[in-house]
Amino acid sequence: MPTPVSSPRLPALGFGLGLRVEHYEALLERPAGVDWLEIVSENYLVPGGLPLRWLERFRERYPLVMHGVSLSIGSTDPLDEGYLDRLHALARHVQPAWISDHLCWTGVEGVNLHDLMPLPYTEEALAHVVERVRRVQDRLGRRILLENVSSYVAFAGAQLSEWEFLAAVAERADCLILLDLNNVYVSARNHGFAPLDYLDGIPAARVQQFHLAGHEPGERLLIDTHDAPVADPVWALYVEAVRRYGAVSTMIERDDHIPPLPTLLDELAHARALAASVLREAA
Amino acid sequence: MSANLRALQQRMAQAVLDPRAPRPADILGDARAGADERLDVYRHGYRLRLAEALRVEFPGLARLAGEAAFARLLAAYVEAHPSGHYNIRWHGDGLPAFLERAPPWRRRPALAAMARLDWALSTAFDAADEPALARAELAAVPGDAWPALRLELQQALQVLPLAHNLEAIRRAADLGEAPPRLRRRRAERALLAWRQAHAVHYRLLDADEAVALAAAMRGEPFAQLCERLATLHAPASAAPRMVALLQAWLDGGLIRGWRIADG
Repeated sequence: MPTPVSSPRLPALGFGLGLRVEHYEALLERPAGVDWLEIVSENYLVPGGLPLRWLERFRERYPLVMHGVSLSIGSTDPLDEGYLDRLHALARHVQPAWISDHLCWTGVEGVNLHDLMPLPYTEEALAHVVERVRRVQDRLGRRILLENVSSYVAFAGAQLSEWEFLAAVAERADCLILLDLNNVYVSARNHGFAPLDYLDGIPAARVQQFHLAGHEPGERLLIDTHDAPVADPVWALYVEAVRRYGAVSTMIERDDHIPPLPTLLDELAHARALAASVLREAA
Repeated sequence: MSANLRALQQRMAQAVLDPRAPRPADILGDARAGADERLDVYRHGYRLRLAEALRVEFPGLARLAGEAAFARLLAAYVEAHPSGHYNIRWHGDGLPAFLERAPPWRRRPALAAMARLDWALSTAFDAADEPALARAELAAVPGDAWPALRLELQQALQVLPLAHNLEAIRRAADLGEAPPRLRRRRAERALLAWRQAHAVHYRLLDADEAVALAAAMRGEPFAQLCERLATLHAPASAAPRMVALLQAWLDGGLIRGWRIADG
C-alpha cells in the first residue's frame, strides 16, 4: 500500500538494530545489512564517561533513532520536566531521525515501577494521553512515536479496543506509531483478540517504525521477554503489516540473552527479504 | 480531571509494590488466566528487574555476602524501598544506607562498606568528563607561586575508609577469581576511587598520602600540604615525598587544574 500523500511519516531508514553493549565493537565495523541503529535514550542520559564516548562513534557511522522507556506518557503524575530537559539535550546532540517511547505509564506518586504498565482504554485516559503527547511534542519540537506494549491485564470499563485507543491517540495528538509486532501478537494471545483486527485498525499513514522481537512461550499467558528469536507467528504478522503499511523502517529488538551479531544480522536479512517479496507482490 | 485514571494507577502501583495489598477489582480475569495470575506478572517483574539491575552494580557485595544472602538482601531492600528514579540502576544509591541500618544486615558493617565501594565505582563510571592536568602545565607555575597554589581535583574522585580488606574482595570479583577471606585490618585504610579518561580505578592509599589528598580535597594550599607531610616524615624526606605524590596524582589523572588563592 503506498503511503498517502498527506502522511506525516518521515522518510524510511530501512533495516536496523537496537544498539546493545554486546555488539559495540562488531557494529563499529559497519557490517553489511545494518542501515540504522536505535539507541535506548536512558543509557546515554548520563553525565559523561564511556557510554557517551561510544555514542559519538556510532553517531558518526549510522543514522540513529532514540527510543525511551521513561516518558510515562500515561501517568497521572506531572510530566518529569528534568527528564524532558535531558532528553531534549540528548536529541539536540544526537540529531536522531525520530524519538519514540511507549503508550503506557511507568509509575505514579513518584514511584517508578520500571515496567510498561497498560492503560485502561477509556475516553478519560485517551484525553489525558493526547494532551500530554501534545505537550511533549511542543517541548521537543517534533512528532514523537508511541509504541504499543505487551500486556497481561485488561481493566473493566474499557470503551475502546487497544488498537482503537492507539489509533485515536495518534490521530488526535498528531503523533506517529512504532508498532511492535511481537507485542501485538503477545497481547492478542493474552487477551484473546485477533492480531489482524489490530493491524486493520491502525492508520497506515502514521506507522513510522516496526519492532520485531521474540517472547517466552507460556502455558497460559505469553510473556514478552524480547530475549528470543522472532517467532514464526510474528514473522507472519510482519508480512501482513508490510502489506498494509508498505516499506516501514524495521528493527530487530533483543533485550536479553543477546546472541552474537551474525545471528541478528540473519534475522534482519530475513526481514528484508520478506518485506521485499511482499512489496514486489504489491507492485 | 483523570480522577478515575489516577485512582486506578494508585491501586495498581500499590498492588505491585505490596504483594499483600488487595488485587484491584478492575483487573479482568478470563479463561486464559485469572486476574491474580495476571497481576502476578507485574509483581514478579518489578522485583526481578530491580534485583537484576542492582546485581550488576554491586559485584563486590555479591562476593562478600554470598549468592543466597545477596539475593535476600536485595529482595529486602526492594521491598523496603520503592524505586523513585527513572534510571533503574540509580536505585542502588540507597542500598549502602539501608544495609547500615536494617537488621540483620547492620550487624555486619562490612556489607554496607562494600556496598559503598561498589557504588563509588559505579557512579565514577559515567560521572561527568573532566580534563586532566598535564605535568608540563604544572611545571610552568612560577616557583614563588607554589606555596599558595591550590590543586583542583576531579569532582568524581572519592575516598572511602575501609576497616576490612574489601578492595581485595572487589578485585577478585572484577577478575572472576575466588575472593580472599574477609579480614579486619588492625587500622583502617583509605581507598581512592576515581576515573582516568574512561577507565575506573581504585587503590589503597598510604597513610601520608591519605592525609595529603584529604587536605588537597579540602582546598588547602600547597604549603599546608607540605607542612602536613612534614609532621609524618623526617625533614629531609618530606619534600621528595610530596613531589612523588604530586607526580602520582598527575599520572593518575586526579588533578583537573590549579589556582592561586590566598586565605
